Amino acid sequence: MEAIQETIQVETRDGANAFLPGEVVEGTVSWQLAIPASRAELRLFWYTEGKGDQDLKIVETVAFANPERQDRRGFSVRLPEGPFSFSGKLISLLWALEVVLDPGSRAERLVLTVSPTRREILLPTTSEVSGASPR
Amino acid sequence: MRARDNPFAVQRVLEVRYRLSGTTWEALMERLVALRFRAALVGPHGSGKTTLLEDLEPRLQRQGFRLRKLTLHEGDRRLSASQRRDLFQDLSPSEILLLDGAEQLGRFAWLEARTRSRAAGGLVVTSHRPGLLPTLCECRTTPELLDGILRELLEDAPSPPADELFRRHGGNLRDALREMYDLYAEATSSAAARTGSPSPAGR
Repeated sequence: MEAIQETIQVETRDGANAFLPGEVVEGTVSWQLAIPASRAELRLFWYTEGKGDQDLKIVETVAFANPERQDRRGFSVRLPEGPFSFSGKLISLLWALEVVLDPGSRAERLVLTVSPTRREILLPTTSEVSGASPR
Repeated sequence: MRARDNPFAVQRVLEVRYRLSGTTWEALMERLVALRFRAALVGPHGSGKTTLLEDLEPRLQRQGFRLRKLTLHEGDRRLSASQRRDLFQDLSPSEILLLDGAEQLGRFAWLEARTRSRAAGGLVVTSHRPGLLPTLCECRTTPELLDGILRELLEDAPSPPADELFRRHGGNLRDALREMYDLYAEATSSAAARTGSPSPAGR
């Protein structure tokens, strides 16, 4: 018997990946599994990356009941007002949607940008701050 | 460079797994069984003991053990009441205790841990010094090991010479990789870092 190639996908409507705070994100998750999932859920969370230990906060979870071996589900989640996506030299904060299928914690993640400009906020470097002209 | 693009961001470094040298996982597990799952991973700061312990965990679970783990930090001379409860309450032979940083414990706390762990199926610790339990693996670092890790993290980008970096940090790979983070953070753009110019290797 031919082995099934496992695929897991998270897609937003129109492929958008930059959003305003408070905006509703809609999309679909889909999967094709070799081993059936007993539990499937979508998580909306932010996390940090950089020099220090990672912080992570799940702000919403959407459970998908009775997941089939091959399945496709729609979702709709509202983003909170913050924190915004940003990056400095020492830390970045990123938003993501992740579908997780158990057993095995099989997962797929889609990174989002959340800010009032729909663009990641870039923190100025120390030299940029100190070099700024006084008001 | 944005923190998330830094090849030495903590999350990427944590993905680098322990590289066994001079032995195999099969041999290591056989020795652990021979030691009745009571053993120590020994080595200096930043030599990979914690990573090796993490890599051991799924292998122990595959053998049917449940794990109770405690990470001790600088100055943790004794266990708190909640830590003692989490570690020792209703222990069974199907469980293994993992103590990361066991050398932090004072003499009496260690004796208590060792004694009460007898109700478990095993006790595996990491320690800077040998002698707490029979040594399962001595974690050593070399410039070649650091070089391999740098190459893994930098993928196709030019890798800086590891020898001087290794010496500067006395073989502490964690500190060496932190220095690399800072060097890359100072790079003016991700493109510059990818091409190695300005090159942290030049330091």
